[in-house]
Amino acid sequence: MEEKFDCIIVGAGVAGLAAAMTLARRNMKFLLIEKGEFPGSKNVSGGVLWGSDLAKLVPGYWEEDAGWDRFINHRRLTFMDDQSAFSVDFKSSHFNETPYTGVVVLRSRFDRWLAEKVEEAIAESDFAMDSFIAPNILVEEILMENGTAVGIRTGEEKFYADSVIIAEGVNNLLTRQAGLQDHYVPADHMLTGIKEIIRFDQKVLEDRFQLHGKSGMSNEFVGFATDGIEGGGFLYTNRDTLSVGLVLGLKDLRDKGKAPYDILNTFKAHPVISDMIRGGDVVEYSAHVVSSGDKRVMPEKLYKGGLLICGEAANLLMNAGKAIQGMDYAMRSGILAAETISDAKEKGDFSETAMKRYQTALEESYVMKDINNFQDAVHLLHDPVMTQKVPNLICDFGRKFFSIKNEPTKKARTLLGESVRSHSSYWELMKLGIKGGKAL
Amino acid sequence: MSTLLTYISIQDGKVKRSSLETLARCNELAEQSGRKSAALVISDQAGKSAELLAGCGADVIYTMEHPIFKNHLNTPLLRALSAAMDVVKPDLLAFASTEGSKDLLGALAANRGAAALADVSEFELTDDGVSAKRPVMASKIIASVQAKGWPVLVSVRSGSYDTATGTTDPGIEEIPFAFEEADLRITLKEILSATGDKIDLSEAETVIAAGRGVKDEEGRKLIEELADVLHAGVGASRALTEAGAYDASLQIGQTGKVISPQLYIGVGISGAIQHVAGMTNSKVIVAINKDPDAPIFEIADYGLVGDLYKILPPFIEELKKIKG
Amino acid sequence: MKFYVCIKQVPDVNAPLQIKDGELIQDSDRNIMNAYDASALEEAIVMKEAHGGEIEAVLIGPEKARETIRKALAMGADSGTLIQTDENTDFDSLGYASLLAAFFRDKEYDYILCGKQSQDTDAGLTGSMLAELLGLPYVTNAVGITVQNEKLMVKRQGDTGQEIIETSSPALITCSNDMNDPRIPSLKGIMQSKRKPVDTIPASELSAAEMSEPKTRVHGFSEKPAREPGKKFEGEPAEIAAQVAQLLDSAENVI
Ligand SMILES: Cc1cc2nc3c(=O)[nH]c(=O)nc-3n(C[C@H](O)[C@H](O)[C@H](O)COP(=O)(O)OP(=O)(O)OC[C@H]3O[C@@H](n4cnc5c(N)ncnc54)[C@H](O)[C@@H]3O)c2cc1C
Ligand SMILES: Cc1cc2nc3c(=O)[nH]c(=O)nc-3n(C[C@H](O)[C@H](O)[C@H](O)COP(=O)(O)OP(=O)(O)OC[C@H]3O[C@@H](n4cnc5c(N)ncnc54)[C@H](O)[C@@H]3O)c2cc1C
Ligand SMILES: Nc1ncnc2c1ncn2[C@@H]1O[C@H](COP(=O)(O)O)[C@@H](O)[C@H]1O
Repeated sequence: MEEKFDCIIVGAGVAGLAAAMTLARRNMKFLLIEKGEFPGSKNVSGGVLWGSDLAKLVPGYWEEDAGWDRFINHRRLTFMDDQSAFSVDFKSSHFNETPYTGVVVLRSRFDRWLAEKVEEAIAESDFAMDSFIAPNILVEEILMENGTAVGIRTGEEKFYADSVIIAEGVNNLLTRQAGLQDHYVPADHMLTGIKEIIRFDQKVLEDRFQLHGKSGMSNEFVGFATDGIEGGGFLYTNRDTLSVGLVLGLKDLRDKGKAPYDILNTFKAHPVISDMIRGGDVVEYSAHVVSSGDKRVMPEKLYKGGLLICGEAANLLMNAGKAIQGMDYAMRSGILAAETISDAKEKGDFSETAMKRYQTALEESYVMKDINNFQDAVHLLHDPVMTQKVPNLICDFGRKFFSIKNEPTKKARTLLGESVRSHSSYWELMKLGIKGGKAL
Repeated sequence: MSTLLTYISIQDGKVKRSSLETLARCNELAEQSGRKSAALVISDQAGKSAELLAGCGADVIYTMEHPIFKNHLNTPLLRALSAAMDVVKPDLLAFASTEGSKDLLGALAANRGAAALADVSEFELTDDGVSAKRPVMASKIIASVQAKGWPVLVSVRSGSYDTATGTTDPGIEEIPFAFEEADLRITLKEILSATGDKIDLSEAETVIAAGRGVKDEEGRKLIEELADVLHAGVGASRALTEAGAYDASLQIGQTGKVISPQLYIGVGISGAIQHVAGMTNSKVIVAINKDPDAPIFEIADYGLVGDLYKILPPFIEELKKIKG
Repeated sequence: MKFYVCIKQVPDVNAPLQIKDGELIQDSDRNIMNAYDASALEEAIVMKEAHGGEIEAVLIGPEKARETIRKALAMGADSGTLIQTDENTDFDSLGYASLLAAFFRDKEYDYILCGKQSQDTDAGLTGSMLAELLGLPYVTNAVGITVQNEKLMVKRQGDTGQEIIETSSPALITCSNDMNDPRIPSLKGIMQSKRKPVDTIPASELSAAEMSEPKTRVHGFSEKPAREPGKKFEGEPAEIAAQVAQLLDSAENVI
């Protein structure tokens, strides 16, 4: 029989790859298993990888042309009604400095590139011949003995390790199998993400969005974007494509009997969006479940003896309006999980108590601090007042404020008052304002 | 005067339509470039077969006759083709793209030091060779290719050109050929012929193609009935040839046959690119599939969404009525 | 028996493609083992499992194609050779066949297996070219092979039916993917593959003697004019069946 591994990681997404890289750097013997044909093959999505943890995993990654598409130095938050868009727009060359604080990645490319980097790290480790990335293998079971994970099973084959990291993503069957998440997760807190990749001539894209070199823009949308369904829209500039899509509440979709694809088409037909995507060719369409970032769907416990759960398998994700953060949380949690394992190896203790340090570390990191602190914002974002009335009101105000007619001009405060009365009430906004004030 | 030579495939005593298409193109190019167009028949009864080519528009027909050619064997054919090239010294040797010619093209090119362009959909003479178009990437993309230096070997996809006609009777010239059985380094043990007197798929005006949706004997009966009404050839997707439900020679697509009938009816076929690669040049495409999002509907002129077991019976009835 | 299997790394035709200034660009740079070669390899592995022997996979390509050799080793090949080219060299079939011929010149083997064609270019030339350059008897488009006293009974798919052909060593066979379903490497296979030997030979070392000017060149790509989707008929089967049958007669005149 093959010798036992220090760790087996299930899933070569951002979380699994980050864990693998950390283990390789710490000279551990591990096996990273991915069910897709290669890392990233199952991952048609992409988006902005926020923060600078990538620079820790792959120092100087920005010098390489591969893997990542653009860095974000231009951000925009847009409120929409059916005709208008009112944006908060921020662009700064402060963001041009490395390490960047947000890079756009296309996962099919990024994951594969990161996997190559992990292979390089393996080759430099003491276990060049004994650590593996194994694609095209589906892990069907986590092997447990006395409540402690001891390995995995795929088909007829069993492989053993001191520890297992589950990094299987949002469809967390193994997490449930291990009893760390209820089998029933209410759809209330799940969203569906749909996205199209639209291709342009690179020069056209760069001119249209004022991009230089590898600079890029991210734009989030609230309001008409989702046609009354809770959620939001996004648009990112990739190298020569745009990612345009929506995240939509599953329950709300079902209750209102709407199809995500129709809503995406309405979104794309909005005058503001259609101006941005004009002339492009849709080259890919994808849809994927994504968690809402509501803490209520997070497993309470992310560990067992010899077992850790990270990334979206643990529903680590937040969408509090200004950005979807999932990949950065996946990355950090993967790093923390691997660090916990390597410490455990040093002490020769993979017990549940030893594994608990992972959750403590996660609680102390920005990941859980932010998730805890911004829960109200998450709830607010899924409030119908926020997805409909507020954007309408803001756009109404914008329309009045920015139009110049040949008649006496009202003061902004008056205009705002009118807009508020016609779309909502001061009382409703007060409530929202208080909530919002607390939330942010 | 230099020559454009077309190899003529004879199957079951008939000239393959795709060979006549290739010959037609060579006739045309010969006329444009002031060359001769010649046809080459290699068979156990080449003399007799050559008579089938009366009025094909070629200037001359070369024949090579030997009993060894009764069945397809690459070694003697290779020798024969090489010998013919020594005699005729053609600028161009063109084949219809068939399993028979695919078996030879590479070896002949290597043997003669000639450039080879396989499976082209268009070709043209240039000053010093041939330029052609050929589908690549499972026929999603067209590549423009160029071969330099004479002679050039090409094989031409069926349906790329109209068939040849002419008024004059070409002269027939026999090229002597000898062959020792001992030189055959491989032995043909057996031929499992599948087609019999059925309609040849690559020549049929109408083709019915069955896919995985055709699940059982009942489904295959419906396909058969439909083919009977329309005098159609029957083909299949890989899903069914692989499962043994249809003979492998009936596979349509990248691995199988390329067809270009007037009417193609795909029944229970999803429309994977490798299948589509073999039938996109059909004039009218009809698809029957219960999945409204099946990719085949993206290329079908008439898409019937529904269960084939419910659609085929009334469809066949209606066609019978129309047919009288 | 010693088998050599010639495998090629090809772009995945299912991945999105674009043409920019006549160049073919594959955004995701997704490359796989040519499906026909995977079938050839699978067949060799099955023969080895039943009758013993040794399998070596040979690939001409750039460094990044090494992963395809690794895949072959994970499936069950015993060793591999990478005939290494620069990132952007692209040969025509005769180019590949000449390089392979140079490689095989001083090798001992029973059978060389190739794919019947490349999935990306569909050329289908290299196999029989290589056989001719090496002076080997060959069979193309094999859909089945059985071993009988060191000889191979090859079932070849011809135009109208199948031919059973007997070959003795040495010979070359090109394989169709209709032959089998290539295995997906098992985890054990993947783990063992790391310790299997892979030889690297710079293509320049082989090419000097054998290569001549390429005789064919690709000088551009264009989009195939797409077929427009026609009309979709949904509803009562009998109704839509009758409707379409009528249209095929009256509007299209094809029945
Ligand atoms: C439309 C959309 C847009 C998004 N935009 C952003 C964004 O802009 N920024 C951002 O930060 N986040 C974004 N996210 C969220 C982000 O994609 C996820 O949070 C992130 O991918 C989670 O990473 P992960 O490694 O935990 O899981 P994944 O990336 O899902 O990886 C899990 C891997 O495990 C493999 N796997 C699963 N089960 C098994 C098994 N049993 N055996 C073997 N392998 C297995 C899978 O194939 C997969 O490769 C978006 C999500 C969606 C749907
Ligand atoms: C290198 C390579 C070469 C290949 N070459 C070829 C080739 O030459 N030819 C080829 O065909 N394939 C080829 N393939 C395989 C190809 O990719 C597909 O797998 C194959 O074409 C699928 O066949 P199918 O459409 O019959 O089956 P499926 O894809 O399974 O589709 C079956 C369809 O039937 C429909 N259906 C099911 N039941 C019913 C019903 N009752 N009524 C109506 N509709 C129903 C379903 O909705 C479905 O769309 C090749 C693949 C590779 C990798
Ligand atoms: N670069 C290569 N390396 C190894 N074998 C190759 C290569 N190119 C072609 N072949 C072999 O030749 C077959 C395809 O020939 P062709 O269609 O002419 O490209 C493949 O299936 C391989 O067996």
